[in-house]
Amino acid sequence: MDFPGVRALEHVDFEIRSGEIRAVVGTNGAGKSTLMKIFSGVCPDYRGEIYCNQIRCFLNTPAEADRLGIRTVHQEVDTALFPDFAVYENLMMDDIVSQSSVSLRYDRKKLMRCAADILAKLDIRLDLRAPVRTLTLAQKQLLLIAKEIHRECRLLILDEPTAALSRAETEKLFQMVRQLAEQKATAVIFISHRIAEILDICDSCTVLCNGRVTDTFPVTKDTGTKTIVEKMLGGNVSGNDRDGTWKQSRACACPPVLLEVDGLSDREQKVKQVSFYIKRGEIVGLAGLVGAGKTEICKTVFGARRRESGTIRVDGAEVNLKNPAEAVRHGIALVPEERRREGIFAAENIAFHLSAASLGTFCRFSFVNRDKIAAHASGLIKKLGVVCRDARQPVRLLSGGNQQKVVIGKWIAAESDIYLFDEPMQGVDVGAKQELFALIRELAEKGAAVLYASCDVSELLAVTDRIYTLYDGRITAELDTQETNEKELTYYVINDITEGSDA
Amino acid sequence: MRKIQDKGVGGFLLDWSAVIAVILSILFFTFYSGASFLSPANLTNILRSMSITTILAVAMTVTLACDGFDMSACTLASCSGYVFMACYLWYGMSLPLSAAVCVVFTMTAYLLTLFLILVCRIPDMLATCALMFIHQGLGQWFTGGGVISAGMRLPGGAMPKRTSFETDFVAIGQAPWIILIMFACVLLAHIFLQHTKQGTFLYAIGSNKTAAALSGIPVGRYRFLAGMITAVFIAVGAMVVCSRNTAAQLCGCDNYLMPSLAAVFVGRSVGGREKPTALGTVLGAGLIVILENGLTLCSVPYYILPAVKGGVLVAALAAVYLPKRAV
Repeated sequence: MDFPGVRALEHVDFEIRSGEIRAVVGTNGAGKSTLMKIFSGVCPDYRGEIYCNQIRCFLNTPAEADRLGIRTVHQEVDTALFPDFAVYENLMMDDIVSQSSVSLRYDRKKLMRCAADILAKLDIRLDLRAPVRTLTLAQKQLLLIAKEIHRECRLLILDEPTAALSRAETEKLFQMVRQLAEQKATAVIFISHRIAEILDICDSCTVLCNGRVTDTFPVTKDTGTKTIVEKMLGGNVSGNDRDGTWKQSRACACPPVLLEVDGLSDREQKVKQVSFYIKRGEIVGLAGLVGAGKTEICKTVFGARRRESGTIRVDGAEVNLKNPAEAVRHGIALVPEERRREGIFAAENIAFHLSAASLGTFCRFSFVNRDKIAAHASGLIKKLGVVCRDARQPVRLLSGGNQQKVVIGKWIAAESDIYLFDEPMQGVDVGAKQELFALIRELAEKGAAVLYASCDVSELLAVTDRIYTLYDGRITAELDTQETNEKELTYYVINDITEGSDA
Repeated sequence: MRKIQDKGVGGFLLDWSAVIAVILSILFFTFYSGASFLSPANLTNILRSMSITTILAVAMTVTLACDGFDMSACTLASCSGYVFMACYLWYGMSLPLSAAVCVVFTMTAYLLTLFLILVCRIPDMLATCALMFIHQGLGQWFTGGGVISAGMRLPGGAMPKRTSFETDFVAIGQAPWIILIMFACVLLAHIFLQHTKQGTFLYAIGSNKTAAALSGIPVGRYRFLAGMITAVFIAVGAMVVCSRNTAAQLCGCDNYLMPSLAAVFVGRSVGGREKPTALGTVLGAGLIVILENGLTLCSVPYYILPAVKGGVLVAALAAVYLPKRAV
């Protein structure tokens, strides 16, 4: 399986028997989703052979996967449901669509009866007539699973199904899955970052690492969390593999705290009682899985999301940031995760970007001085090492790494001194990555406070001084980068230690 | 030259298609109707006809620059016209005072538009679509369902304070002044959009609202500013229309919606800028009026002309949305 430029999967052998519940684990980017995409038929350009009951089959379209009885429940439930339709209509949607009869009659009573049957069998209690938009996330998840398994289902793929579920709901889901595997001999692939759940429900476990299957082993009572974590990191753990020259203790022994966040919470419970501080000249990591709340923390500190409680102090003084404009005035800068959607003005040129956060300094009586902007832009382009034709080139034509440099440059021009980086290396190639690391380090050396949020443990080890780990919106540990390693960090990132799941 | 290298000849022609269309239509009408099309009298005529469309289109340009939209601009202009005329004729105010009241009224009325968009969070298109009808109804309630013109009584039956127009009033709608007002509006809008911080921020918001907010630009405040500037241009447009008709006719400005929109969208594509600009808007208005004028000279019946204007709008919209599919 090849993606342009990156090979997502390499020589993967995967076998699953009827009635088996198999966990697929791996760090972010290990290739789990790619493999599942192939199984559900949305990645038609794979190489290799797939057999189903000893018959070779070709999974080139979702319809073919569907015909073979492969059902996938994706993580984002909202993309698969019709919010304004009732529960029973959503449940029966596939039947409604594939109805072969010419009859135009939309037999609500019959549909409702079928739907009631299905839910009763699965012991799911939902109001059949309620529109789906009124359901909770967990209810939607259950509905979606019910929808997928009520038809013939030979392989069920569950992609992080428990992320939104409570304990009790998770238990109910597991019951359903076990029943399905035992009674209907359905094979189940279970993707989760929660090791405790894997130990609970799975019969066996396949570990993916950098696109390769590194191990497949049965899950027994003796299997512990540590075993799985070790196998997940398997090939690429070499202790603390940082290059010593990257990290030099900075001159000032006791620099002042520049940003201090205390007990920060938001309304949607994505950020729960988060406290941290960053000193001048320090790069602090925020490690967490996708969905752990990194983006939410960055945006809440930046004033782009509403704060429910907690205080933010900049340079010792408490600030009340109601919107990003105020955050910018206090010298806070955000390099957002989704660069295309939130970071850049695709059609505008580089000079425009580099002045977007500091336009006031290029104006006289609010009249823009274009020459000054152009001169400033070409200076900054040289300093940042942006590869481009000139400052008038539209930013959409730049590579990911160069776009990111421009986004950072925007804040350098605004003389920000608190930088929040949210997954800054997404879509950035290896060479540019090193340059961006150097750039971030240089910012810190000049006295900025940097927060670096990422799900990539090796990035964090490479660039930070101190790391906070985040699980489900809560800070779970604070680690000194020099004294930790990939294994320890990953352990904290994928384990909910606050709920006391043991090692 | 670099533009041609970047996009190929086809892209270059597409970017400048509005200019090419203007040149072609001028050539065509000159060829077809001889000297009468290019005569000074007819050229003045063209400029005069395009003034109102241009002023109202400039109003919309400012709103569209920050990715807003205003379908109710022209119905609001009709209302502003009623107020302007009522001040001038009914209550006998001086011309500058009437104009000032008209501007203040329009800005106040625009607060409602902005309330619906910024506070109630109704999408611009839907909010202004609903407002069109509110403007029409409330406006006619104010005039008592009739025209406001010289010598006509107030809805209550009282006599108006002023019974005839001063020359100043009439001059606004006539040849040198109406054209000068148009160019002044275009120039002001051009300087504002291209050369000030505020204008640059409006384009930033129009380019990517989220990125603008995350760059520390107060998006709501600038959308409000854009709305207020739009309101001022609407008021100017309304006064010019009243003066030209020497009356505030019922729904007198409503029909300018379509050509103004067409002008803005034609202007968007000029030079591949892909954003509404004041100069592009003038060109768009010019194209529409030249077509209208030329076709009339070629004795095409006037009642077919809306189809021509609509066709220009469709072509301009296609030029905006068609290239997006390729990306």
